[in-house]
Amino acid sequence: MRCAPRKDDFATRRKHLQKMSDQELHAHFWKLVEDIVAPLIEEARTHTTPSIERSVLMRMGFSSVETKVLVQRVLERGLLGRGAGRLLLGLARTKGVSVREAGTALIEGKYGEELGA
Amino acid sequence: MKLSPDEKLEIGKVLEGLEHYRPKRKGWSWRRKRHEHRIGPFLYKNTSENLKRSLPLSAAHAFGDIDPQCDLTITTEIASGRFEDDLRRMRMAAWHGADHIMVIRTTGQSHIDGLIEGTIEGVGGVPITRKQIRATRKALDAIEDEVGRPINFHSYVSGLAGPEIAVLFAEEGVNGAHQDPQYNVLYRDINLHRSFVDAAEAKRILADGNILQLDGAHNANATAKQAWKVTPELFVQHAINTAYSRRAGMPADRIALSTVPPTAPPAPKIRLDLPYAVALRELFAGYRFRAQQNTRYMEADTLEASVTHVLDTLLSRLTATDIQSTITPDEGRNIPWHYHNVAGVNTARQTLMGLDGVTEQIVLKKDGGVHAQVRELKERAVLFLEEILAGGGYYDAVAAGQFVDSGYFPERNGDGIHRDPAGGDGAGSVVPREADYGAPVCSHFGTNVYASGDDKPCDAIGGCSLCDASKIRYIDELDPEDNVNQRLRQPLADRAAGVLRPEVEKHADGVVCATLFVPASPKVAEAAALEMARHMGLREPVVLSRRIMHPAEGSVFEIKGALDAAVRIEDLQLDDRPEPLPEAEIEAWVRPRQLHVVAATVGEDEHSVGLREILDIKHGGIEKYGFHCHYLGTSVALQRLLEAARDTAASAVLISTIITHERVHERMMRELHELAKRHRLREKLLLIAGGTQVTDQMARACGLDAGFGRGTRGRDVASLLVQMLKARGS
Ligand code: B12
Repeated sequence: MRCAPRKDDFATRRKHLQKMSDQELHAHFWKLVEDIVAPLIEEARTHTTPSIERSVLMRMGFSSVETKVLVQRVLERGLLGRGAGRLLLGLARTKGVSVREAGTALIEGKYGEELGA
Repeated sequence: MKLSPDEKLEIGKVLEGLEHYRPKRKGWSWRRKRHEHRIGPFLYKNTSENLKRSLPLSAAHAFGDIDPQCDLTITTEIASGRFEDDLRRMRMAAWHGADHIMVIRTTGQSHIDGLIEGTIEGVGGVPITRKQIRATRKALDAIEDEVGRPINFHSYVSGLAGPEIAVLFAEEGVNGAHQDPQYNVLYRDINLHRSFVDAAEAKRILADGNILQLDGAHNANATAKQAWKVTPELFVQHAINTAYSRRAGMPADRIALSTVPPTAPPAPKIRLDLPYAVALRELFAGYRFRAQQNTRYMEADTLEASVTHVLDTLLSRLTATDIQSTITPDEGRNIPWHYHNVAGVNTARQTLMGLDGVTEQIVLKKDGGVHAQVRELKERAVLFLEEILAGGGYYDAVAAGQFVDSGYFPERNGDGIHRDPAGGDGAGSVVPREADYGAPVCSHFGTNVYASGDDKPCDAIGGCSLCDASKIRYIDELDPEDNVNQRLRQPLADRAAGVLRPEVEKHADGVVCATLFVPASPKVAEAAALEMARHMGLREPVVLSRRIMHPAEGSVFEIKGALDAAVRIEDLQLDDRPEPLPEAEIEAWVRPRQLHVVAATVGEDEHSVGLREILDIKHGGIEKYGFHCHYLGTSVALQRLLEAARDTAASAVLISTIITHERVHERMMRELHELAKRHRLREKLLLIAGGTQVTDQMARACGLDAGFGRGTRGRDVASLLVQMLKARGS
């Protein structure tokens, strides 16, 4: 649905706001904003993206060039929803190597099948 | 790295050891405010700590060279495309009072899904890479030591790589950032879901990094043709980003609303913009305000832009503002030039110092016109929000084109920006987190198996890069051709050869600007002006601004062009006048010798102020050192001066000559010399002239011993007198 042109009907549309004190109006304003933002922030809480996952790997000590390849590997296997960082840490533990070693190996094409196992 | 005021910033030094450089401090810094602050002859109300080094406003020399600093942070945006040139400009801006340096990103960086590295050249901005921001932070760390005040470095966390850029900024000590998911959606067509999900992560990182956030609402009035009509929506955009930031963990005092007074004269600016500014401050009490100057209506006339910016700054002072952002006066005509950044900063600081304490004398009326308009704006904003919810929420509102419609809400013109929530760049890239989703790092937003206990999430990996900087992986260059080392060749060669070229933006760009008034009708005048610029030797001249003075009498043009002139420093004739002698030394020599001088303003010139300043003990004039001054007044005939010189056995004659019509000043100087010769006094007397248009070279060419221009102090004259008299063996 697209917004259709409309004349300025402020005078009639505002009727229900007229009686509110400034304070009430402010409270109403912020309540509406909270209601608009709630579903957005809920989506953010429960979803992830390639950039978020690359940023996690950056924080784990990988360069931007490395994070690109690593997240690509995770995406190819449809595993992004488990978290690239968690998968890498899991891999490192299974293999008994450091996170960095696990990441480098993955970049070189090793351990692919074991990722997320 | 330490800077010395008389040495240039060495880019080589900045780049040296960059792989190991860590920022001196992190997070945002406000100025340290001073409320009752005595500086020179004045008691200031709205200032902050003085700077250690700075360049004061021009008029300051009349007040003892004071440079009071206002209490607001002052922003300037610097991004020519080559960060190595920008660093020099940042230093210049800091010396004029800027303490918030914003670097715009290169065109198109928003659409790159990931980080870029190295020092590739940008277009309309600088590619934000680790190396470039680290180099910039390093230079700013040195500059802040030089001026004696923290300088906030700022860039943008937007586009497809928001979370990564946020991590980069937190790691590298960037202090402020724009972050507003609505901006991505409305102006970059980045997928809605992607933009908001990324934003929560980015905001959480900024919050923990104590980085100040600016939002992007002001872009709506930069876009709209009738910018004042989008004001109801601006409240909505500010509010959505603010509430979202709070939910992502950002504290109120790290959230700054980016607001621009929407109009410019000849619109009745203050009357239109003030209610909006007041309403915003009331609705968003507790948050910070970054007042930006108007860009929407700025065109080629830099003076007109500056006047609008003065009025913008007046509004900032009358309402509450924390950051005064400046727009360069050349904003409407080119990517800003070095000295226009400085001009913009000076517009803000000059205005704010001029308005110091004004709110103790002027208050806004609480009742009547302003209040009614404030209330109406708030109600219009509330109605906007109600419509978003009635239509199904934010995503549906964007899909319906509810934003950036040119109608004054609830008026609708049906020309808003539409975005399909399932479309745009990065569509389909948002993935639900599984039950066992985890990210073993700090500053991560949302569900995370590592964030359940009391331990830091990054304990699982023995620390993340935000806790342990040794984990940061630095990449130097990826492109062997497009990088700073290649670009530095020319500047370094020029330096080695000792040549200088003019520049406005990038090293040796050769660009100069000439102002020409041509007394003809506009078209003829313009063609003539360009032709004249070619005669001046300017390559590819372009008209930057044109202003009709009268359709028949003439127009004035500012023309830019390239000047292919490289001058050799060693061939230059420098002003070789030595530094003045120490005061004590002057006095020790003068006092015992009982020296007399006679002085007057000559011709038919009544200007006395300048000469009195040179003579008078109260103004630090030469009397102070023991000279006996015989001041004869104004409009004095040369003949009389020489007679007085003979009568008092004076050592020197000082004349002031301010009026210069028909080169009367040069004639006065020449006649003085001739007359003294005729009276056989020339060898006995030092003849010295001064005035606004007098130069030493000119005075000597006219036969005198020395000349002094604007800004001369008694000490300069006394010192020269001593040196010359010594040389004569008196
Ligand atoms: C104050 C002033 C006046 C006052 C003068 C009062 C007085 N008792 O002096 C009044 C109002 C009377 C006046 C009148 C006029 N003025 Co008037 N005036 C000014 C003004 C606003 C400030 C000058 C001043 O005092 N500056 C402060 C002093 C400290 O600076 P300074 O003079 O430059 O002096 C420094 C140096 O030049 C140097 N110096 C000066 N003399 C000497 C001498 C020696 C020996 C040495 C070593 C150094 C030295 O050291 C000084 C200290 O640093 C200027 C505009 C401006 N903002 O500059 C116009 C200005 C100087 N005036 C100007 C004019 C044209 C006039 C009038 C002709 C206007 C008219 N048509 O009526 C009349 C002149 C009448 C006359 N017969 O002289 C012009 C001169 C233009 C030119 N270059 O020819 C100016 C520049 C304004 C303009 N842009 O049109 N004026």
